[in-house]
Amino acid sequence: MKKMIQYWNHPSRSAYLFLAPSVILLILFSVIPLVIAFGLSLFDVSITMDTAKFIGFHNFIEAFQDSRFTNSLKVTAIFTGLEVPIQVLGALVIAALITKNNKRNKIFRGIYFLPVICSATAIGIMWRMILHSNIGFITAVLQSMGFGKINFLNTPGLTIFVVAFLSIWRSFGISAIIYVTAIQQVSRSFYEAAEIDGAGKILQFFHITAPSIRPTFWYILMTRFAGALQIFDIIYITTNGGPNYTTESTVTYIYSRAFSSNSNMGYASAMSVILFVIIMAVTVLMYRRMNKEG
Amino acid sequence: MKNWKKLLAIGTSITMAISMAACGGSSKDSTKKNEKGTTISFWNSFTGSDGDMLVELVDRFNKENQDGITVEMDISPDFDSQLSTAFAANTGPTFILSSSVARFTYGDHMQDLSDIFEKTDLKKEDFIQSYLDYCSEGDMLYFVPFQVVGDYMYWNKDLFQEAGLDPETPPATWEEMKNYAQKITNENKNVYGLGISYESSYQVARILQRFGGLAVTEENGIWKANFAGNKGYEKFLTNYKELLHNGDNPVEADTDSMMSAGQIGITLGGPWVTAGLDSAGINYGISLVPQGEAGDMNPVEVIGFSVTTIASEKEKEAAYKFIEWWNKENEEGSSPALEWSLANGFPAYTYSVQEKDSYKQNEKLKVMSSTNPDAPSDFIVDTSFEGIGQIINDVIPEIMNSVAFEDTAIPEILEKAQAKTDKILEQYN
Repeated sequence: MKKMIQYWNHPSRSAYLFLAPSVILLILFSVIPLVIAFGLSLFDVSITMDTAKFIGFHNFIEAFQDSRFTNSLKVTAIFTGLEVPIQVLGALVIAALITKNNKRNKIFRGIYFLPVICSATAIGIMWRMILHSNIGFITAVLQSMGFGKINFLNTPGLTIFVVAFLSIWRSFGISAIIYVTAIQQVSRSFYEAAEIDGAGKILQFFHITAPSIRPTFWYILMTRFAGALQIFDIIYITTNGGPNYTTESTVTYIYSRAFSSNSNMGYASAMSVILFVIIMAVTVLMYRRMNKEG
Repeated sequence: MKNWKKLLAIGTSITMAISMAACGGSSKDSTKKNEKGTTISFWNSFTGSDGDMLVELVDRFNKENQDGITVEMDISPDFDSQLSTAFAANTGPTFILSSSVARFTYGDHMQDLSDIFEKTDLKKEDFIQSYLDYCSEGDMLYFVPFQVVGDYMYWNKDLFQEAGLDPETPPATWEEMKNYAQKITNENKNVYGLGISYESSYQVARILQRFGGLAVTEENGIWKANFAGNKGYEKFLTNYKELLHNGDNPVEADTDSMMSAGQIGITLGGPWVTAGLDSAGINYGISLVPQGEAGDMNPVEVIGFSVTTIASEKEKEAAYKFIEWWNKENEEGSSPALEWSLANGFPAYTYSVQEKDSYKQNEKLKVMSSTNPDAPSDFIVDTSFEGIGQIINDVIPEIMNSVAFEDTAIPEILEKAQAKTDKILEQYN
């Protein structure tokens, strides 16, 4: 025991001990499942994985011939196109407004952060009731204001916007708080110098704040992109992919193929691999762009 | 201080490694044997208010039983993924509660329960045969019935009265239902005559079946799809589209909430609908769903107990004791099965429960139990067709979405459904 302690009691070795818990968790819950998913995608496997038949790339060919899968990719792209820019830029604007550490701003930060700590299930059920076409509060208010009957959750073409709004509402608090932290790190002397030069708040924001927090901006952009491409919970609870599959995201469809009907783990894994490749490509491109700017 | 930090790091790593080894090295099954007797695990997905009652009843069994059996129940909203993951890892619960359709997915992990009538006091002849048939495959009994889920018709008596209809007389035919719906609809009050959800594929499947029979049947050992040219299906879907178009039925996935809010005149749904109506204080009536042109049918889903292959003989015996206790009368003439029916409004699956005075006096249960027990209880496809999940989860939703949101003609929608089903059938023929 003493020898072991002596062996590890060395700066270059003890570092591995500190890294070990995270590395073990990463391998167990990320690397191994990823490798298994790659492997499963080449097999015809049942839900209980009792039998596995090697079928090569058949699952991938089937995926691109499956209209629901290609539709789900389209839905995911639309959702990402709606959610990410509004979330990333909207959170930045809000963050700029609540940066100062006064009491009012602290209250607002708390309010914005509240949906982040709520369960997606609770949020989904709440909004489903609020936006119900017949007994929903918002629907009733809008109707009384003369906007007519708006069927938020059952109108193809509209519902995807509603789902994107719910997703933004739910998670923009965390982006805003990250921005606030980054903005607070920007040296006050820059702003003082700008004020002396006569620059207003908007000019200060574009010429000092925005360039200074660029790494944070890229971080939020990348994580939101990856998150939006994997959207599942809000959709699963509020619309379950409807109406007419106009909100069925790729992960929602993968889940249904893995666990609901016609369960086929191999096929679900193949679709997951395709999504993984898309997310990785987008992330790598953004990362390169970020490094170039850096 | 420096040494303490290093020791802490070593300690953390060792703890992590040990805990992970413990996770990975679990025994084959999740059932433990305690000093007194047997502990068995019981998984299900009863997350609603009925789940609370199930917890109470399981606790009661654990206290009452003299055999030292402890049932450890795990209720999960993600029951299917939990079960499939467990089976894939060759582990899992002793017994489960699930739709009998699950035998097509997990059949290899389920034990034959047909000897339960020899090993316990349960009497086979007490169970309604059509429900037992639904839980069987040949001589093999995969499930012992626990709950029978069918659709019933509920009508709002106040809205009937407002529309000038007799509140005590529900529609006896589908034509009448459509006519009544048109009379009840009141656009100014956001009231709809009929509430059939376009998203409820189970509900729609039962209706389609009443109109046009089973969607998949067997002919000379070959599975055959019956969508294209099915006049019964075409009739219902045409009527449904018309009701949606005219605003007599809402384009809404969640119609149960509207019924509970007093905004729908007539709806169809499972026994759980009554809970919402009762708590909302709706003045309603309940009756059987009118039969369609396909004749007398009793399309139901049977939820049952199933013992997994993970269970040893001793554990299977313990699970049998629980199932026996569930159905056994106590000295007061009651049983958990009777209590469950009365509290949750599910019709009984045994004649002995149906005979009880408290059951007979319950108006809702009386209506629900008035179905013809000899009518076929197949649900949308032939009972032994393994691809039922694909028909309910893939084919029917596509039909209903097309009807609700597209301008495609009904015969064309049914032809598409036929083509999709034919492709599914290739896996089974």
